[in-house]
Amino acid sequence: MSEELDRVAARIRDAHAELTPLLKVAHDARIGRAEAPGADGSAVCAWNHFENIPTFFNWNNRPR
Amino acid sequence: MPSYVVMQPTTLCNLDCSYCYLPLRASDRRMSPRVAEAVAGDVNRWVTGQRFSVVWHGGEPMAAGREHLARLMAPFAPEVEHHVQTNATLIDDAWCDFFRSHQVRVSVSVDGPEQHNRFRITRGGLAGYQRIIRGITTLRHHGLPFAALCVVSEPGPGVAKDLYAYFLDLGCEVLGINIEEREGVNRRDNRHSADDVRAFWSELTSAWRDDPSIHVREIEWSLRYVAAVLDRTDGDLLPRRLDPIPTIGYDGSVVLLSPELAGFTHDRYGDFASGNVLTTPLAAMLRDPATLPWISEFVQGVENCRATCPYFGFCGGGHAANRYFEHGRFDGTETEHCRNSKINLLEGVLDHVRGA
Repeated sequence: MSEELDRVAARIRDAHAELTPLLKVAHDARIGRAEAPGADGSAVCAWNHFENIPTFFNWNNRPR
Repeated sequence: MPSYVVMQPTTLCNLDCSYCYLPLRASDRRMSPRVAEAVAGDVNRWVTGQRFSVVWHGGEPMAAGREHLARLMAPFAPEVEHHVQTNATLIDDAWCDFFRSHQVRVSVSVDGPEQHNRFRITRGGLAGYQRIIRGITTLRHHGLPFAALCVVSEPGPGVAKDLYAYFLDLGCEVLGINIEEREGVNRRDNRHSADDVRAFWSELTSAWRDDPSIHVREIEWSLRYVAAVLDRTDGDLLPRRLDPIPTIGYDGSVVLLSPELAGFTHDRYGDFASGNVLTTPLAAMLRDPATLPWISEFVQGVENCRATCPYFGFCGGGHAANRYFEHGRFDGTETEHCRNSKINLLEGVLDHVRGA
């Protein structure tokens, strides 16, 4: 990949130390919300159905 | 094979939101049970190998009425999950019983505190908020979990903190934020200063971090990408194939990829429809979708994004409707929607961790 196309990912890698605590917050929050695979019966799990399918293209293009 | 279909039980909406993209929302054109039966013919085969959802969307799907909606749901196998995206104004005890008995998962559309809902109005031009919140209160009273979608028309500093506090108090489990898009019959300008949009997303990240009990779609996706970059697994994040996201219109016509294109026509692209389920099985339409000129142009557009945009690994390419309604074609690249909801979202999250 060209340097130009990699520049966003490169900036993320440069911010590794600052991002790691935020990722820990997200990880713990997911556990707190019981967003485990196979869980069912909540709006979270319903949405996760969409989130977990490998369709990144439509991640913010679902109905409003 | 798709993982969900969007179904339009009626074109009618009892609200008349200023930013709505739907062209036929003032008229009540209802889906016939024959259309639902035709879709179910394929869906009931697909659900045997995977989870599959039907998203009832409108118009306002509840405007079709319980009896009609039940008739439309009836042909689907019990394993099929049903979702409804609703403005919540019609929710009452009887609808809550319906949601529970039909195992319908509910997502409501509300734009935050009352003053943020001034574009969500009735056909008579009156504020819709009190009716919206009454419906959501009824959902809560019945103990039904729900997601929320929020349109933000004026992103900027000082907005996100109160917005997030509102949704915490509302009790939604999932929140999606849509910066208003210029598409369909909504031709309002959606250009914003990059600094304002970044400040909005940065502040939202800060507010969420203080109490991350809501699954915020945009933050989840941003952090999922960030984590993949740090793990050097971001090359595996994008799908190998597009999900076709079939939208089944009230009359059985099928539009792929972008529900917002349904009901529109163009001299060069026609009506964007891949066919009609009353004459052609949905599975047959999905066999080679790129035979439609607009879809092959869109696929080229995705490749143009891949070749030129450093945010492609995060985004996967601009959406079809945004390209069309902003650029007038499908093979262009960066849109205002890209800037508002992808580029400056990721930048806002990074601003947050940098303390900017």
